[in-house]
Amino acid sequence: VNGFRDGLSAVVQWLYDVTSVPILVYFVVINLSFLLLIITAGFQFRRYLRMRDASVDTLGGELALGVSVVMPAHNEEVGIVTSTTAMLSLRYPRHEVVVVDDGSTDNTFGVLREAFDLVQIPREVPMDLPVRAEILGVYVPRDGHTRLVVVRKANSGRSEAINAGVNVAVEPLIAFIDADSILEPDALLRVSKPFTDDPTRMVATGGTIRAVNGSRVVSGRLVRLAMPTQWVARIQVVEYLRAFLVGRTGWSRLGMLILISGAFGMFRRDVVVDAGGLDPDSIGEDFELVLRIHRRMMDEGRDYAVEFVPEPVCWTEVPSTLSVLARQRRRWHRGLWETLWAYRGMLFNRRYGRIGFLALPYYWVFELFAPLLEGFGIVVVVLGLALGMVNVPYALLFLVLAYGLAILVTLAAMSVEEWAFHRYNRWRDLLTTLAAAVLENIGYRQLTVWWRLGGWWASLRKKEQVWGVMTRAGFDEAAD
Amino acid sequence: VTTRQLLLGIELLVLLACLVLALSVIWSKVTRLRRERRTAQSLAPVRGALIELAAGEPGGLRILRSARGKTADAIDEAAVALLAKVRGEPANQLVTVLEDHGALERAKAEVSHRSPVRRARAVQLLGLARVEDSTALISEALEDEASEVRASAAYAASYLADPWLAAPLLRSVGTGEGIPAGLAADALLEMGVEIAPVLRAAMRNPAPRTRMVAAHVAGVGTFVQALPELRELIAADPDVTVRVEAAEALGSIGQDSEVELLARHTRPDQPTDLRRACAEAMGRIGSPLAHDDLVHLLDADDPRLAEMAAESLVAIGPRGMATLDGRRDEPAAGTALVLAALRAGQR
Repeated sequence: VNGFRDGLSAVVQWLYDVTSVPILVYFVVINLSFLLLIITAGFQFRRYLRMRDASVDTLGGELALGVSVVMPAHNEEVGIVTSTTAMLSLRYPRHEVVVVDDGSTDNTFGVLREAFDLVQIPREVPMDLPVRAEILGVYVPRDGHTRLVVVRKANSGRSEAINAGVNVAVEPLIAFIDADSILEPDALLRVSKPFTDDPTRMVATGGTIRAVNGSRVVSGRLVRLAMPTQWVARIQVVEYLRAFLVGRTGWSRLGMLILISGAFGMFRRDVVVDAGGLDPDSIGEDFELVLRIHRRMMDEGRDYAVEFVPEPVCWTEVPSTLSVLARQRRRWHRGLWETLWAYRGMLFNRRYGRIGFLALPYYWVFELFAPLLEGFGIVVVVLGLALGMVNVPYALLFLVLAYGLAILVTLAAMSVEEWAFHRYNRWRDLLTTLAAAVLENIGYRQLTVWWRLGGWWASLRKKEQVWGVMTRAGFDEAAD
Repeated sequence: VTTRQLLLGIELLVLLACLVLALSVIWSKVTRLRRERRTAQSLAPVRGALIELAAGEPGGLRILRSARGKTADAIDEAAVALLAKVRGEPANQLVTVLEDHGALERAKAEVSHRSPVRRARAVQLLGLARVEDSTALISEALEDEASEVRASAAYAASYLADPWLAAPLLRSVGTGEGIPAGLAADALLEMGVEIAPVLRAAMRNPAPRTRMVAAHVAGVGTFVQALPELRELIAADPDVTVRVEAAEALGSIGQDSEVELLARHTRPDQPTDLRRACAEAMGRIGSPLAHDDLVHLLDADDPRLAEMAAESLVAIGPRGMATLDGRRDEPAAGTALVLAALRAGQR
């Protein structure tokens, strides 16, 4: 036993010697980069707030481009009519809703046909984007005026459903929206504003996604916002605040936004078609599409822009159980890895400018490898403690510093939220959010490291991706 | 200094920063709630009079005009918000309230204020109140270094509707970050036919955003004088977005003489979006002259283009409908006929 212990101690000591300096450098750089993103996002918010304080908030107008809201649906019988009605009633001068029933085995199409009195039209769907699955029919409401198109197709997944929707869409802008997302009434106006402001350059915009658990939603509209009752969901509220408010706003300000959430993104239709649409074989299909658009635009030497809209516009139900959350995080990390790997040719390639030299390396080092390094750190420190090789006061000091910095970033995001949007009105919600920012570091963070490593491992083993079922509580009463 | 002391020092700094941020969140909420409460209290005695005034009942005008101090400030803020929503006599009366409170004079002085928010608000108020001698100030503000001031100036220009502002607006829209194209377009559309020469010149501007805005305004505003420039844009602009906009503009202006040009740009060697826009524009013109070209497009390899051609045949009237009727078994013609029947409530 002593021999094994000595051997293990020697290995751990060697690991400490070899990795301590690189890990310390990594730790300093990752936190400096967070700080830089916070400062950059701060400039963007300053500008946003100045614009708001100056009361320049004109939305829509004559130049607002038409939008086709493409909503894929698979077995959404319970909520599809509510979601479709909510999408149709969004405030926008010219928009249509394209619902793609992706081979539902429940009565999704039946409830739609009944609610909107659908009739089939003999439309031949243009194959602007390739769709492998068979298109079974195109339907419109009998009233001849409601701008709804329902496409029925054989089941082939979300990406193909969206591609089929893009083929049917007639407006110059496309919004991809999940059927279970709740949009603010002026969401389209806000997310399309960058296109109205800069119609010749803007090719894609992303909107802020927030967690709706615990809030009251009636008829597809958020009527009372509140924090979730479960801590798993509460922590995701602060995670989303940090990722969207600080992360994506900062990247957008730097002109390096490479990730637009699949729950709500808006694109120029012609650009999506030129790029080839969503890749049905990709797991991180939304990330992959945005990267493909960047690559194509830069290959063609075009002057273009991709922008993030920090205003909260889309609300979605986040996982409220650890098992569902674990599946989601594994899938996200697998998608991240596979997409980054597929686009490794853009890394440090002069043609791709800032994206190739800053954004992509950042995602490789601080998003993809982060769980590997954090997991390694946890294992080595635990081993060191068990073997009595670690100076406990030092380890504690370092731990407090690491998690203190993480809390600092979250609190910065919360300050921005309260300063700019202050959507949570109740004091109780504010205090819960503050508590979640601290508690996130005890257990939750370590679990996400494990799940993300699982996603990576599944990808390396080329394990077949199973989407699983996202258990939802539904919206019509208090969700959560 | 030992490593331990260094770590402790950094840690203390981080914890202090966390504490400051946590307190700032709470402080921000407290101050916001207090400010909202104060404004509501100041406005409470005159809220009814203000709502009545906006609704066209000037019973409380005297009370509003004679208010002073914090109540006057709260009224001014509410009046500016209302000015963006009301027109006619209620708007004029709100302006008299602002005048009596000295808000318009202050706005003129604050156009050159150090704070960009104050400048933006001042410029916007001058526009909303339609202060006639403020055109030069608005023009200067269109080139302000702060984007919010430029945007406010464009917004103000839409209220002033002075054609003299068209050239600075179009210049600003194409310069670097410039002003938002949508705001510029809305302002230009308020200015009437006098801006036609400026629009025509803008369609030859090197900035695609300027050309697009000019083409759009020419179409929506039916600027017939701009037809030669629109023809040039559709034929040769390097930016497809601008060409599509020009095609839509030609459709909106609706002259029979443009059918031939539009038909030429539905040929297979043209970009897909331009072909579709031209087919749609031919329908908007609604001229029988487009019939044969549209019939030819029913056989296009692009099903969307064929359907748009069919819809345009519906738009040109009985001759187009008769043609479609003879080809109702084809998807494009069949779809256009079904949609036309649904719109007419015949199914």
